[in-house]
Amino acid sequence: MNKTAAVAPGKQKAPVNKNAPVQKKAPPSRSRTLRKIEPYLWIAPSLILMAVFILVPILSVFQMSMSDVSKAGKIKGFNGIDNFAKVIKSPAFGLVLKNTLVWTIAVVVLSTVLGFLLALILNNQFKGRKVARAIVVFPWATTLVIQASAWNFIINKDYGTLNTLLLKLGIISAPVNWTPTPEAYFAWEIACGIFVTIPFVTFCVLSGLQSIDTTYYEAATVDGANYWQKLFKITLPLVKSSLTVSTVLNIIYVFNSFPIIWTMTKGDPANHTDTLVTYLYKLAFYNGKQGEAAAVSVIGFIILLICASAYMIYTLRKGDDQ
Amino acid sequence: MKKALALLLALVMVLALAACGGGNNNAPAQTDTPAKTDEPAKTDEPAKTDEPAPAPAGDKIDISVIAAQYGQKTTQWWADFQDEFNKTYENINLNVEVVSWNDIYTVVNTRISGNQAPDILNIDVFADYQADDLLLPAQDFVSEETYAKFYPAFLDQSVVDGTVWAVPDLASARALYYNVDILEAAGVEVPTTWAELKTACEKLKAYDSSIYPWGIDMTTDEGQAAFAYYIWNNGGDFTDADGNWTLNSPENVEAIEYAIDLVNSGLTNTDPANETRYTLQDLFGAGQLAMMIGPNSIPTYIAVDKKPEEVINYGTASIPTNEGKPSVSAGVMDRFMCFDNGHSPEKLEAIKTFFDFFYEDQRYSDWVLMEDFLPATKTGGEIAAAADERMAAWVEIVGSCKFYPTAQAKWADVKQGVINVEQQALLGGNVQELLDNLQAEIAG
Repeated sequence: MNKTAAVAPGKQKAPVNKNAPVQKKAPPSRSRTLRKIEPYLWIAPSLILMAVFILVPILSVFQMSMSDVSKAGKIKGFNGIDNFAKVIKSPAFGLVLKNTLVWTIAVVVLSTVLGFLLALILNNQFKGRKVARAIVVFPWATTLVIQASAWNFIINKDYGTLNTLLLKLGIISAPVNWTPTPEAYFAWEIACGIFVTIPFVTFCVLSGLQSIDTTYYEAATVDGANYWQKLFKITLPLVKSSLTVSTVLNIIYVFNSFPIIWTMTKGDPANHTDTLVTYLYKLAFYNGKQGEAAAVSVIGFIILLICASAYMIYTLRKGDDQ
Repeated sequence: MKKALALLLALVMVLALAACGGGNNNAPAQTDTPAKTDEPAKTDEPAKTDEPAPAPAGDKIDISVIAAQYGQKTTQWWADFQDEFNKTYENINLNVEVVSWNDIYTVVNTRISGNQAPDILNIDVFADYQADDLLLPAQDFVSEETYAKFYPAFLDQSVVDGTVWAVPDLASARALYYNVDILEAAGVEVPTTWAELKTACEKLKAYDSSIYPWGIDMTTDEGQAAFAYYIWNNGGDFTDADGNWTLNSPENVEAIEYAIDLVNSGLTNTDPANETRYTLQDLFGAGQLAMMIGPNSIPTYIAVDKKPEEVINYGTASIPTNEGKPSVSAGVMDRFMCFDNGHSPEKLEAIKTFFDFFYEDQRYSDWVLMEDFLPATKTGGEIAAAADERMAAWVEIVGSCKFYPTAQAKWADVKQGVINVEQQALLGGNVQELLDNLQAEIAG
């Protein structure tokens, strides 16, 4: 009954359009084409922007990495994998790659653990919580160059505030050299990296924590679960998605981070504190080897691409399982 | 399908983040490099296609200049210069862009790869541009009258294949600076030889262990200067008389071993690989460093923001040498060069006018004295020496000092190479082996 009623008005309307059969068919097909095109129209501006500001420069790096580039920046022609071969053969490259991995893993892992703990603390109800949260943002909101300069100022042997403080407190009797070896310097750089990365992790995790329904905890308490059981069985599984997002973003940010190392040591002495990014900057702008610098850039890009793809495949597959 | 999608998503993410990463971190990260040079050179012809065609009579001739920023006063000086020049020559439109030393190489290289080279460039190096056939010979863009003013020794520093490609705009020279009060209190004479230097350092250390006796800078910033001070004062050099690299000569090895020994004996600042000359100048100005080798601008540097009575009591002397070797001062010289942008004869005349105006004696000595540099012209030197007694001694020194072999196309590699050698040696590397490797890499 309903069906006929629904069809009826259509049938009644049809004769009205009888005189213009072309017009009758046109609107649905036009709207169908429009519907097909519409999404692309909407994403076109961002696609164009991405193409111009991301894709073109990236393709340009790829082109440069396979070109003979003069010191003045002129591209002299295609030279295949020469730049890559030179980079990989250079004795500094292995050291720089190792440093990059140590830097990325140490900063990401430690800042994730510490950021998670900080988020747990800030998620509790206590007086001055808002102020505490604001303070946590500070390191994040300050320019990295300033942060790194401040750390340099703190640990400096001759006029550093750390030595001054310890001397005043009578803990030490003579200024201590906090950076006696390149490894020590690198450790300080990692510490600075962790310090500025913690806020990001904290806020990612905090947003996850706040979306957890308190009834889970109430139910667990009723069932007699202790703090650790609640942490590992409720909190961790539920903030896992925020943690993975922050970790992947951090891997990419930290891997590509330039200012901390550049401000504190410029990769010195003899590449012992260089990461791929500071190394390629030196190659390009201090040694005038722009082709090789582009090759290092491509290598870094491929490493990141592999990491990000592994993560994407892993999470998408998990999404299928659920 | 899912995997393909995942890969695509990953690619987009890495691309986006690689691009943002730099910006977010205020860093010239990897993608910044191409972003600035995303206009690869399409032709070898350096003609400026986007510039107005040769002007019909009555139109102004445009001259573009990129100049290095030497200090706080440089930008204002050039702004005044530009106004004065444009008022004096109404048919010329001069445009000077002052760029900091940190950015100038990137800016210039980006312009060159985009076929937008400036007409005139003020920078330290020229060989890389010359190697790409981008420059005009100096005598094509400087009038004979102005050309005759330069010290011949300075012009010699810009010769490749028998042609002068650039003209000096200023120079600076290095000497030994010492804190008179500290040396007197410790009962130490100003050292003239390496043996005396080491003894003096040991005495100073025994006198007060909180003062660093000797300053050494082996950083990426200016480590090549330390290399030059020691090898030149041991009779060594970067190249021989024919311009062949002699990086691993016995004199050079001995010189660097001596410098590293000073560090290892605890007679210098703590971390020569990370403490730049400016750190040393700060320590020297604060009375925490007894002696260092530095440029003629140190007196001004250490007097900034201080009352005259607060400034340390310092003296200058020749750089100490190995026994029996002549003392050599290290000179640093910057240049003007003119890019071959297919200039019309009228434009070349206008460029010559620019240089005549710049090197006009009074204006030129103002330029040099502005940031405490030394003049590169004989007439400028006379005026500067007459204006300041202290300057006279420096003008004398700069006429006889040695310069880096910047005319060599491989100088950039050598410069980074010797810094790397110094830093490896500080970490315990064998100087002979390191220099042998560098020599093989550069000359081989």
